[in-house]
Amino acid sequence: MRTHTRVITAGIAAALMLLGTTACSSNPGGSPTTGGLTSITVRGCTPQHPLLPVSTNEVCGGNVLDATEAKLVHYNSDDASPELDVASSIDTTDAIHWTVKLQQGYMFQDGTEVKAHNFVDAWNWGAYAPNGQVNASFFEPIEGFDDLQCPADQADCTPAVTEMSGLKVIDDYTFTITTTDPTSNLKVRLGYTAFAPQPDAFFADTSDGKADFAKTPIAAGPYQITEHTDTQMVLQKNANYSGKFTGAVDQVTFKIYNDLSAAYNDVVANNLDITDVIPSDQLVGDAWKNDLVNSDGTPRWGTKATGVIQVVSFANAKQDPGLTDVRIREAISMAVDRAQIASTIFNNARTPATGWVSPAVDGYKADQCTNCVFDPTKAKELYDAAGGYPGTLSLWVNGDGGHDPWATAMCNQITNNLGLPCVVQDTPDFATLRDKIQKRELTGMFRTGWQMDYPSIENFLAPIYATGASSNDTDYSNPQFDSLLKQAAAATDDATANSLYQQAEALLNVDMPTMPTFYQASQFGFSTKVKSVKMTPFSTFDFGSVVLN
Amino acid sequence: MSDYLGRKKATREALLEATDPTAGDILESGETEQRKESARSLGADAWDVMRRRPLFWVAALLALFFIIVAAAPQLFTSVDPRSCDLAYSRLKPSLKAIFGYDMQGCNIFARTVYGARASILVGMGTALFAALLGGVLGTIAGYLGGWVDAVLSRLADIFFAIPLLLGAIVVMAVLPITLDTPYLVVIFRIVLVLGIFGWPNIFRLMRASVIQVKPAEFVQAARALGANPLRLISSHIVPNALTPLIVVSTIDLGTYIATEATLSFLGVGLPRTIVSWGADISAASALGLIRNAPHMLLFPAAALCLTVLAFIMLGEVVRDALDPKLR
Repeated sequence: MRTHTRVITAGIAAALMLLGTTACSSNPGGSPTTGGLTSITVRGCTPQHPLLPVSTNEVCGGNVLDATEAKLVHYNSDDASPELDVASSIDTTDAIHWTVKLQQGYMFQDGTEVKAHNFVDAWNWGAYAPNGQVNASFFEPIEGFDDLQCPADQADCTPAVTEMSGLKVIDDYTFTITTTDPTSNLKVRLGYTAFAPQPDAFFADTSDGKADFAKTPIAAGPYQITEHTDTQMVLQKNANYSGKFTGAVDQVTFKIYNDLSAAYNDVVANNLDITDVIPSDQLVGDAWKNDLVNSDGTPRWGTKATGVIQVVSFANAKQDPGLTDVRIREAISMAVDRAQIASTIFNNARTPATGWVSPAVDGYKADQCTNCVFDPTKAKELYDAAGGYPGTLSLWVNGDGGHDPWATAMCNQITNNLGLPCVVQDTPDFATLRDKIQKRELTGMFRTGWQMDYPSIENFLAPIYATGASSNDTDYSNPQFDSLLKQAAAATDDATANSLYQQAEALLNVDMPTMPTFYQASQFGFSTKVKSVKMTPFSTFDFGSVVLN
Repeated sequence: MSDYLGRKKATREALLEATDPTAGDILESGETEQRKESARSLGADAWDVMRRRPLFWVAALLALFFIIVAAAPQLFTSVDPRSCDLAYSRLKPSLKAIFGYDMQGCNIFARTVYGARASILVGMGTALFAALLGGVLGTIAGYLGGWVDAVLSRLADIFFAIPLLLGAIVVMAVLPITLDTPYLVVIFRIVLVLGIFGWPNIFRLMRASVIQVKPAEFVQAARALGANPLRLISSHIVPNALTPLIVVSTIDLGTYIATEATLSFLGVGLPRTIVSWGADISAASALGLIRNAPHMLLFPAAALCLTVLAFIMLGEVVRDALDPKLR
């Protein structure tokens, strides 16, 4: 269920362009500072869903909500580590029963106070199946979640239960959470947008899908949406903001662009202040670094490692018997010179992967994938010893995500180093590729990617490699792996949990169901008006860090 | 007796000669020889005009050159266009690779040479396909007239109404190919698509041309002399109505090559396993790439331009030579 929305990764770039349906905005006058107020313009794109935390699972809406919503937990803008925001404490003794205490006097933008029922009611509303919220699955760990869902064979239903039994309001500033299974990283998960509270005005709105409320939603974050049209979204500083993560500028305007190149050119020409994406062709030969430079030589660009990993998955033995022997899969992985592709194709915008977990998260351990080290001689030996692969190896990618260059390069390396003919196969779009993967139709290899939901090593392992997991595209199943994940989830201290997760990750190096290829980094650029800005590991901007010239 | 026959022949001959410029073939061979100096066929006439024009020689040699490249690319390069090494990525032209290397480290010269085959096969195949289909149907419609003409013309109108590029994209998406599809089938798929949407043009032209020639005196004379419809069409009408078809087909050939490149550029043309100019141009034409490695785009694009130019120039020269109105 979540795969469609979460394995967005590099498909995002294409999606960004496709999502936009309205006209380009033009702002010849740059971004004026009016009446002593500071303001900046930021590249935006048309949100796919209404601007509700439980509806938004893509970057266009997510970038905006990141600045407007306050959650129990806030992710540090440098390393994504969780910091308490609305919560004053989140405690547990057994990783099942949790007590959440709220700060008193934390205000919504409309002046009402954030209380325990604002969280509990919002989560129940989001999880309730008839409301059809795409982020509902984030509430899955909470006890009683299943009672709010439709039976597996039914698309439409009206469950009698509307509240999860695992959520209980104790008083205005205290509530408890009970999880179905031990979930040691619940605290980290609570920072995800879906767990944001909703004010009483939200529940009072009777429009279909809360559409009226979503136009200019009320939240508790540092910024407030004051204008929301097809061409721009204007965010103004929240006068009632009570948290620690205050914005540095008075007004942030997200201007909707359909074309990444147009946004880039506007930043170069100082018509737009910040862009969160640099078109890939501008990365060639570092053209963008030459474009985005001040007259005194200081850069107007930056990069940030993000929680995205690109992986090439091997079709399972049933789909493609030619890949049954693990030595073939090891050989293919070793025959790929990731560093060379990273430098020539990606111009170092991506870095070679050395494991299955992104370095942006807590619990990351380097060099977990020994088969990812380029070694053509050993690869050829292993390949020959295993008897080779019959016929031509296919590498499937979605044709709308700009994957052709690296996929072609990877195929050429496999052909050159193993003598195995390899060809890149395109699907017209991302949805078609996912469809073929889910129907288990593909032979050879296919591209998969993972963008983290919350910064935890668990998020890179459990949803993808646990037996029967929602995004287990290779049908990988290893009882030892599953049992390590269970033990880790029940561990109450982070160090133990992380070490157990790392042991599980090491098993992937033995079985090689997939080969990690690249860690992703985001590039961003800004105008001469901006002195510096920080990008978070989620590719959003920390508007509290903006310094203007 | 013999004298009488001879006179009769002479009369018939004179009647035909007066109007039908291609009537040479129905004369007996001995007489043709004698008359060659005073009355020559249209073909010979055109050849005479063409060979005096330098433009013809330039265009013909260029076209011939590209056809040779397409037929035997091995003669021009010993490098495999599919063997690429990322270590050479985007290297500028040098003595080792006179056109340089592309993004993937493939030799651009080798790819340009090998890419000619797909382009020229598609261009010539489509021109031939459209000329045959449109020519035959156009002749039938023009000669028979009546309801046959009405039906065929409306059919052509239907295809005419569909924009070639849009129609091609739809059909290509409907006709998928796999890895094992043979080279010629893949090429034929494009030829089919471009031909299906290209023939109405030729059809209209041929129909109009046949209608124009049909009432001419020499056709009426042949009919009066008892020639059956088939002979009438093949010996008198078609040879005299063919000029516009040849001219437009030659010009269209260049357009088809450009359209194939467009389709490959859009990702619905030739699959990536086939080296083609269109695909290479597409891969090289992002703005940032043009700034950093213009040679990647320049060489396949130049080859495409020259080929299209050669065939279009050839078409124009042929038109000038064949169309008496222009003289």
